[in-house]
Amino acid sequence: MTSIGTGYDLSASTYSPDGRIFQVEYANKAVENSGTAIGLKVKDGIVLAVEKLVHSKLLVPEANRRIQTIDRHIALATAGLLADGRQLSNRARDEATNYRETYNSPPPLKAVADRLGLYVQAYTLYSSVRPFGISTILGTVDQDGPALFVVEPSGVFFGYNGAAVGKGRQLAKTELEKLKLPELSLREAVIEAARIIYLVHDDAKEKEFELEMSWIGPESNNLHVHVPKDLFDEAEAKAKAALETFE
Amino acid sequence: MFRNTYDSDNTVFSPQGRLHQVEYALEAVKQGSAAVGLRSKTHSVLLALKRSTGELASYQQKMFRIDDHVGIAIAGLTSDARVLSNFMRQQAMSSKMIFNRPIPVNRLVSAIADKAQVNTQEYGRRPYGVGFLVIGQDNGGPHLYEFSPSGNSYEYYAMSIGARSQSAKTYLEKHYESFADCSLEDLVRHGLHALRETLQQDKELNINNTSIGIVGPKSENETKEVPGGAFRILENSSIEPFLKTMVAKESADAPAPAAPAAPATGDEDVQMSG
Amino acid sequence: MDHFPTNWGRPRNDAFDAYGTYPIHQRPQNGPKDAFSAGVQRTQQPIVTGTSVIAIKYKDGIMMAADNLASYGSLARFKDVQRLHPVGDNTVIGAGGDMSDFQYIQTLLNELDIEEYTAQDGHSLGPAEIHEYLSQVMYARRSKINPLWNSLLVGGVKNGTRFLAYVDLLGTTYSASTLATGYGAHIAQPLLRTAVEGFEDVLTEEQALKIIENSMKVLFYRDARSLNKYQVATITKDGVNISESKHLETSWSFAEGIRGYGAQTQ
Repeated sequence: MTSIGTGYDLSASTYSPDGRIFQVEYANKAVENSGTAIGLKVKDGIVLAVEKLVHSKLLVPEANRRIQTIDRHIALATAGLLADGRQLSNRARDEATNYRETYNSPPPLKAVADRLGLYVQAYTLYSSVRPFGISTILGTVDQDGPALFVVEPSGVFFGYNGAAVGKGRQLAKTELEKLKLPELSLREAVIEAARIIYLVHDDAKEKEFELEMSWIGPESNNLHVHVPKDLFDEAEAKAKAALETFE
Repeated sequence: MFRNTYDSDNTVFSPQGRLHQVEYALEAVKQGSAAVGLRSKTHSVLLALKRSTGELASYQQKMFRIDDHVGIAIAGLTSDARVLSNFMRQQAMSSKMIFNRPIPVNRLVSAIADKAQVNTQEYGRRPYGVGFLVIGQDNGGPHLYEFSPSGNSYEYYAMSIGARSQSAKTYLEKHYESFADCSLEDLVRHGLHALRETLQQDKELNINNTSIGIVGPKSENETKEVPGGAFRILENSSIEPFLKTMVAKESADAPAPAAPAAPATGDEDVQMSG
Repeated sequence: MDHFPTNWGRPRNDAFDAYGTYPIHQRPQNGPKDAFSAGVQRTQQPIVTGTSVIAIKYKDGIMMAADNLASYGSLARFKDVQRLHPVGDNTVIGAGGDMSDFQYIQTLLNELDIEEYTAQDGHSLGPAEIHEYLSQVMYARRSKINPLWNSLLVGGVKNGTRFLAYVDLLGTTYSASTLATGYGAHIAQPLLRTAVEGFEDVLTEEQALKIIENSMKVLFYRDARSLNKYQVATITKDGVNISESKHLETSWSFAEGIRGYGAQTQ
C-alpha cells in the first residue's frame, strides 16, 4: 500500500495528494475483518442475519446480540467494531425518539438513515475523532412497506433490496443477486438468509460462529423481533444441509 | 520511540483497521493480578488474587460491591476501576430511584461499555486501563459478564482476566459444562482451582491473598445470613473453609504425592512487579 | 344581573366568579395585579378536565373504569375521550384532571415503553415500576411548582401479583384494593369498599364488572361532570383488555317531583 509512511494517512482531517481520506478507508478495513451481516427485503417484510464469530466457547449462546432494535419497527445490524455498533445504535434510538417527540408519529427509516449518515460523516471531518469502524444495515416495515438501508463509515447511505456487509460480503452479494427477492415470502427469505450466512462462513480460516436472525413482517405484527425458534431451527438445519450438497 | 506510526493516538486506524491504543489498553488489564468468574444455575461467583506491595502494606482491593445484587472483580488500574464502579453505583441508584427496580445486570454492564467506547473514538482521553468481571442476579437468574476497555461486553458461563489468565481459561474451558448444576461449594472450588493456575511457581492461595465474591443463596461455609442472596465479599478467615476444599494440584489431574502442607499465611504473597 | 341581594349597591367585583364560569379565559380580570408574581405564575387550575376513575382488585387481576367525557368548565365539551391508557403488556393507567397534561403523560410513557422494548433483553416494566416512575415525575413537577394536574390510578398484573395504586398532582401515593379519584373518591369509594374489601380473591370477573357498573351508574346520577358512556379495562395474567364504550341505562322519572329539576308546578 502506497499510503503507509507518507504521513497523509494519520488523520481523518487530512487529504492525500490524490484526494483520498485514508482514515476512512482504514475504517472500512475494520469492517472487512468482521463477521458478515446481511439484510433481505421482500414484499411484506425484511430479514436480517449475522454471522457472529465466537471467540470463546465460554460465551453464553444467544446472550450477546449483534442485531439491535432501534424502534418498535426498526432493526439495525452492524459489521465492524462491536462497540462502535452499540454507540451508533444508541444514537439511532435517540434520533428515533427525537423524531417521535417532534412529529408524534413513528419515524420513517429514511429519516433515521439520513440523520445517522450525517452523524457518521461528522466523524470523518476532524483529527480529534476517528471514523466509525462499522457498516450498518437498517431495516424497517412501516406504512409504506419494507425498506432497507446501509450506512457506510464515510457517512454515505443507500437503499437496497438485498444488502451485505463484512468479511463475506462479495460472496453474499452474489448469492443475493441470484434470488428473486420480490417474489420470496418472508419465511423463504429467512431460509435463504440462513443459507447465505452458512455459505459465506469460511470454515478453514475462522473460528466457530453463531447465526443470529431477526425479522419484521406480518407474523411479528410489523414489530422487530428475533425469528421464532422453530423457524430458526428449520432454517439452520436447511442451511447446513444445503452446504453439504454445495460442496 | 513508538512501536509503529499508528499507535500514538486513539483516533487513528492502522492500515489494517486496527486501533493500537485500544490494544495497548487491553495489555494494561493483563498487568493486573488475575480474577476468575463462574456461574451455575443458582449462583455466580468471583475469585481474585490480591497483591501487596510489601510486608508493611495491606493487600489491594480486587472486588467492589455495586448494589445488593451486583458486584465486580477488577484487573488493571485500580483508580480507573474506582471511577467506573462509582458510575455503576450511580446507575444502580438511579434505577432504584426512578423505577424502584434493581437495575438489570446486562444494562449496567452495557452502560460502562458504552462509556468506555467513547474513549476509543475521541481525542483527549485515554481508554480505561481496567477490565471487570461483573456478577449479578436479576429476573433472568445469576449472570457473569466481562467488561473490557475496548468498549465490548460479553456474557459468559465462566471467564478469567488479568495476569496469566489464559491458564485459568484453559482450566475453565475444560470444566465449564459441569458448572451449571454445581453446588456453591463446588463452584467456588472450581474457581479456586482456576485461580491457582495463574499463580507464579511456588506461590499458594491463602486467606490473605484471595477474595471471593458471591451472589445467590448462602453456603454452608458461610456464617453470616444473606437475605435475598445479596452480593457479598468474603476475605481473610471467612474463606478458610473454602480453601480447605481445594484438591492438591497434582492429584487433580493425575495420581500425585500427598497434598502440600496447609497454605502458609503472611509472607507468601505475590509481589507487585516493578 | 346579580341575583345576590347582599351585593346590590356595592362596587362590582369581577375578580370573584359568582357563576363558576371558569375556565373561560375571556372573563375580565380586574383584580389586583402583582407584576412580580405574575412573572412566575404557573398552572393554577386544570382547563379541559376528566372526572372520576375507579378501580378494584378481583380474583384474576385488576378492573378499572372511566367515562369518556372531557369537560371544559361545566360544559360537556368532548364526549369521546379515552381516559384509560395501556402501558406495555401488564399495565393500565387511568387519569382524571387535566386532559392535556394526561396526553403529555401518555407521550412520556410511550417513549419509556419504546426504550424498554428496544433493549430486547427480556426485562420489562411492570405496574409497580410504572407507578414509581409516575410518582417521581409528579413529585418533581409539583416541587417545581408546575404540577401535572392529574390524579392517576395505575393497575396491573405481573408475575402473578396484582398491583393497584394512586398518584396525584402532589406526588402523593397510596395503594388499596379499591381506589377512586375525583368525585368518585367521595361517592364510589364507600360502595367499592363495601363490595370488594375482604373479597379480592373470590370476586369473579362478572361480579367485578357488576360492582364497577353500579358505581359508574351512581356516579352518573350524582356527578354533574360525568357521562353515561364509559370504558372498562381488565388486566389479568393474559394481558390488557380495554372495552369498547358502554352505555349506562338510567331512569330520571324520580326527578320529576324534585323542585328545581322538573317542570315547576307552583
